[in-house]
Amino acid sequence: MNEIFIQAANRVNNPAIEEWKAQGKKVIGLVCSHVPEEVITAAGMFSYRLRGIETDSTSIGDTYFGPFICSCPKAILENAGRGRYNFLDGAIMVQACDSMRRLDECWRKAGEDYANIVPSFFHYMGVPHKVTDYAIAWFAQEIEKFALALTEHFGAPSITPDSLAAAISLHNESRRLLMDLEALRNAGDPPLSGEEAMTIILAGTAMPKSVYNPMLAETIRQLSGKSAGHAGKKRILLAGSVVDDLGMFRAIEAEGAIVVADTVCFGSRAYDGLVAEDDPSYTTLARRYLNEQFCPRMFGYYEKRLEVLKQKIETAKIDGVILQNIRFCDLHGSENGLFERDLEALGIPCIRVEREYGPLGDEGRVRMRVSAFLERLSCPPPPGTGVLKRGFSTGRPPPAAREVIRHARSIEGIQLRLEPVEPVLRSVQDGRRHTKGVRPDARTHPEFSGRHRAGHGHGRARAALPERHGQVPGGGGHGP
Amino acid sequence: MGKYLEEVVTAHEKGKKLCMTTFCQSPAIFWAMDVVPLLMEPMTVAGSLVRKGGANEFMDYCVEAGFTETSCSSQRGALGAYLAGLAEKPDFVVIDTPGICDTNANSFSFAAAYMKLPFYQLNYPPTLKDERAEKYHRDDYRNMIAFIEDQTGNKLDTARLAEVMTEMEKQDLLICEIQDLQRLVPSPVPVIYNFFIYGLRFTMGGRKEVTDMLEAMLAEAQKKAQEGKGAIFSGPEKARALFIYIDHYAINVPLWSLLDERGVTHLGGILDRFYQADAPYAGDDGYKISTDSLDAMIDSLAEANSRLPMVKQIRGPYDAPNMWLEEGLGLAKMYKADFCVYSGTPGCRNTWGMVKLMAADMEKAGYPTLVINADAFDDRVESWEQTRHRIEEFLEVRRLV
Amino acid sequence: MMITAGCDVGSLTSKAVVMRGNRIIGTAIIRSRTHPEKTARQVMDQALKMAGVDEKDVAHSVGTGYGVEKIAFVTARHSEIACHARGARFLVPTARTVIDIGGQDCKASRLDENGGVLKFLANDKCAAGTGRFLEVMAKILNLSLDELGKLSKIARAPVTLASTCTVWAQADVIQYLNSGETVADVGAGVNNAMASRVASLANGVGVTADVCMTGGVAKNQGVVHALEKLLNERIVIPRKADPQLAGAVGAAILAREIAEGSK
Repeated sequence: MNEIFIQAANRVNNPAIEEWKAQGKKVIGLVCSHVPEEVITAAGMFSYRLRGIETDSTSIGDTYFGPFICSCPKAILENAGRGRYNFLDGAIMVQACDSMRRLDECWRKAGEDYANIVPSFFHYMGVPHKVTDYAIAWFAQEIEKFALALTEHFGAPSITPDSLAAAISLHNESRRLLMDLEALRNAGDPPLSGEEAMTIILAGTAMPKSVYNPMLAETIRQLSGKSAGHAGKKRILLAGSVVDDLGMFRAIEAEGAIVVADTVCFGSRAYDGLVAEDDPSYTTLARRYLNEQFCPRMFGYYEKRLEVLKQKIETAKIDGVILQNIRFCDLHGSENGLFERDLEALGIPCIRVEREYGPLGDEGRVRMRVSAFLERLSCPPPPGTGVLKRGFSTGRPPPAAREVIRHARSIEGIQLRLEPVEPVLRSVQDGRRHTKGVRPDARTHPEFSGRHRAGHGHGRARAALPERHGQVPGGGGHGP
Repeated sequence: MGKYLEEVVTAHEKGKKLCMTTFCQSPAIFWAMDVVPLLMEPMTVAGSLVRKGGANEFMDYCVEAGFTETSCSSQRGALGAYLAGLAEKPDFVVIDTPGICDTNANSFSFAAAYMKLPFYQLNYPPTLKDERAEKYHRDDYRNMIAFIEDQTGNKLDTARLAEVMTEMEKQDLLICEIQDLQRLVPSPVPVIYNFFIYGLRFTMGGRKEVTDMLEAMLAEAQKKAQEGKGAIFSGPEKARALFIYIDHYAINVPLWSLLDERGVTHLGGILDRFYQADAPYAGDDGYKISTDSLDAMIDSLAEANSRLPMVKQIRGPYDAPNMWLEEGLGLAKMYKADFCVYSGTPGCRNTWGMVKLMAADMEKAGYPTLVINADAFDDRVESWEQTRHRIEEFLEVRRLV
Repeated sequence: MMITAGCDVGSLTSKAVVMRGNRIIGTAIIRSRTHPEKTARQVMDQALKMAGVDEKDVAHSVGTGYGVEKIAFVTARHSEIACHARGARFLVPTARTVIDIGGQDCKASRLDENGGVLKFLANDKCAAGTGRFLEVMAKILNLSLDELGKLSKIARAPVTLASTCTVWAQADVIQYLNSGETVADVGAGVNNAMASRVASLANGVGVTADVCMTGGVAKNQGVVHALEKLLNERIVIPRKADPQLAGAVGAAILAREIAEGSK
């Protein structure tokens, strides 16, 4: 393992950054995978992903952020407050998720109490939460605004289609190489562990791509065709909240499994999907950075993400999925619930783990859960028993619900038409089957009264409307 | 409220579509398109106020369904019932909180994915008044209308819309007048009126029943203004409180009883300020309703929607122009607040991310500010007795009454 | 008949069980000390003494719990979840849902027909919903845990307590006592608050009959009854052995299965 990769993955600062700065070049920090790094590269600078690693407390973070907040931005602020990010020349705050976007105010306020911790270039960038033609247009303008502010602030030459094209090409090269790395991991006998793979991937976020790409290419070359004794281990896919430290991988792999794929922010989310190279413009960047994000902050695209996840599970021959979220991360925390339901229904074992961020997390707790999960993977239950029956699993609604139904029936003039969202009542399931498909006919069940309206679109799985309402036709590719 | 609930429960019977939506979305467009808006948060409040144990079982059910426990309880209370299939099933989901509040938007996108419902989001940029933002508001709003037309099979009826918006305009004026009177010392506006104003606006804004109620409320406030004695039933006004965020909804509305008891005027908060151009606090930021043409109507609705509670002021950094701090300070000054109160829920990632900064700034500006750690919709987090205790302690220690 | 042993090292208490075939012949429960290996040694020796066997007679032993890596003398290690599930199934053969409330954590598991764990959830971060919650409240009410458990039966109007946070619930309890609420009503409120936290966890895995409760809190009648009401299910408390021993029992059974090659 390349020594510089190890340093870059585990430390906030590293020799590659120092060397870059020694040449008089600038380092710009960012907090979200939605920020188009190509702009920074085209301006002759390098984009560095901010992390909260190496912290052992959040005393500074807690002073500004309130409680009930994801510990990731708090840990980043902790590092900033302790001066560990003083090497940054600029930072971009992003309307990523609610916890992360408040890093903007908290960092600036902390800057009033701790000298010199706010970089001279401190920019706030908005990002839409959906993909439509006007959203892409707006985002393209936002990117342009950022590009202008960046070059003006530092007196750097303006970004041209040529410099942008070169940057796109460089970043795409990283992406292709990382996809090659992913292919190695997907093999039946991966030549490297998940921890090692993540080390390599993390390193890429903390060093200039021009330095990283050749090292990465060399590493891949060395790994190809090798065996490292990982064949036969349980193959895990890691999904959920940001994981930018190796602790989580260590915890999982110490129990004897191997993490061969992921959908997390510092992992595949950053490299899945190339930027189109035929038209170097802010609009092209906007398209890729909005379309190719496996992030629940893009509301209404669950079905699409589920498909991507299923594809990865198949390609990497996954035995089990670990769905983790940082406590207070509502976005991943809830989507993990949906994934669990839908993947388990397909017979893919899942476990949800809630934890604190990175270095503040408790490895022991995670290992306990992983170990129990792996035991389950080793002794699979009889077929069909893994399926979770959501809802009133005893076959009767709980007392509170029965009270509601009884009361509602007693109100004059109210015809209660109750439809179980999912077929949960055992007696209904056992008995009648709805002729139109899966839904049981609640009409004939003694618990219910009222009319049942048959098949008016139930099961129509349209969770989002971007295709109908103005999305750029054929905009961008959709991942692997 | 009764009328509203009746609309919700009988929507399908009457052949109307039921749209699951959020409180900070203007319902006018739905009423105009013959769609019944099903608002999650007011439903949760209804549950909290009248049921023993509130809407807690349903909040817990959300967790059983796979939703996170830490998500805002304001949606979870009603959401649980819908996820469990205990209530009228909505036909589609339309929200306007992406860009404003993740946890809110997430609740609805979860519900849509869970119940396999068509979903539309109005998405807001982080600024309010620049040309790009305004163009985005208008484009997005039109797209939403197209979505609703698609879902219902009905085209937007211009005459019907004009009718609803004319009514809304009347209501806006009435609200502005009441809120103008509220500036008087002592305030002639009874403590509970703020709650009524936003309760009505969120659920039935644009409908005649609301106009009637507002007229009655204004008449009462004017009467009290003439009498000059204030509107506290228990006695004279002793202090004026600006609730910079939301209220607290434990059973039997004890917050308002407490305030009245202690002689504290409730100056309202984020939930009842809608930024009509005629509002005393709106300055240049207000919207004007125009019924001149279909385009003008849609544009003014888009503008109105972009200025709704939360949608307006928590979309960007708190100290940016038009955002929360500027608003809080402006209102506190204009309404001569003696102190401020922040009441919310642990699920509010957005405000908990910077409420300490906000409170510090308000204090620096001379307004003692109480930050309540309770959950406005779930008293299992902190019982009302405890919350009450904290409020009273604050009033005493800061010598406010 | 094969002799096996199970050792469950927890943060508050440690348990050991010795079995001959399918019969429990020795048990021990002691308070955990700072060094898990010392505690494990001590509790195992006690159980062996009670069983009247020597350590060399033990064919296999399984360790579990948070300190398990430190225990040198076990043949194998398994997760607490697996051990509790096994133990609960042995003590209550029809168990499909296991709720284990220990001193410092709370776990719920759903099992398949063969006793394999399908899904589990654990709260090992927060005192609310664990034995600790009851300990803290009992102290304020000046009662033993036993007495606290019995209060639900005689309460007339149990109070509603904040149940999400132990610290805030404490403040509530004091408030209620000061306002003149009876100890019985407050105590019952405590048991109900506890049950509601646990119910949330249990519902998260999907409650399926029969529901079995293990761990020390299973001995608190008030919590058990409140939980039964909330889950709308009868809860079976193991009678064959102290419910606190379920983990160690399961470990001993797993030890036998490993030895017999069936695992």
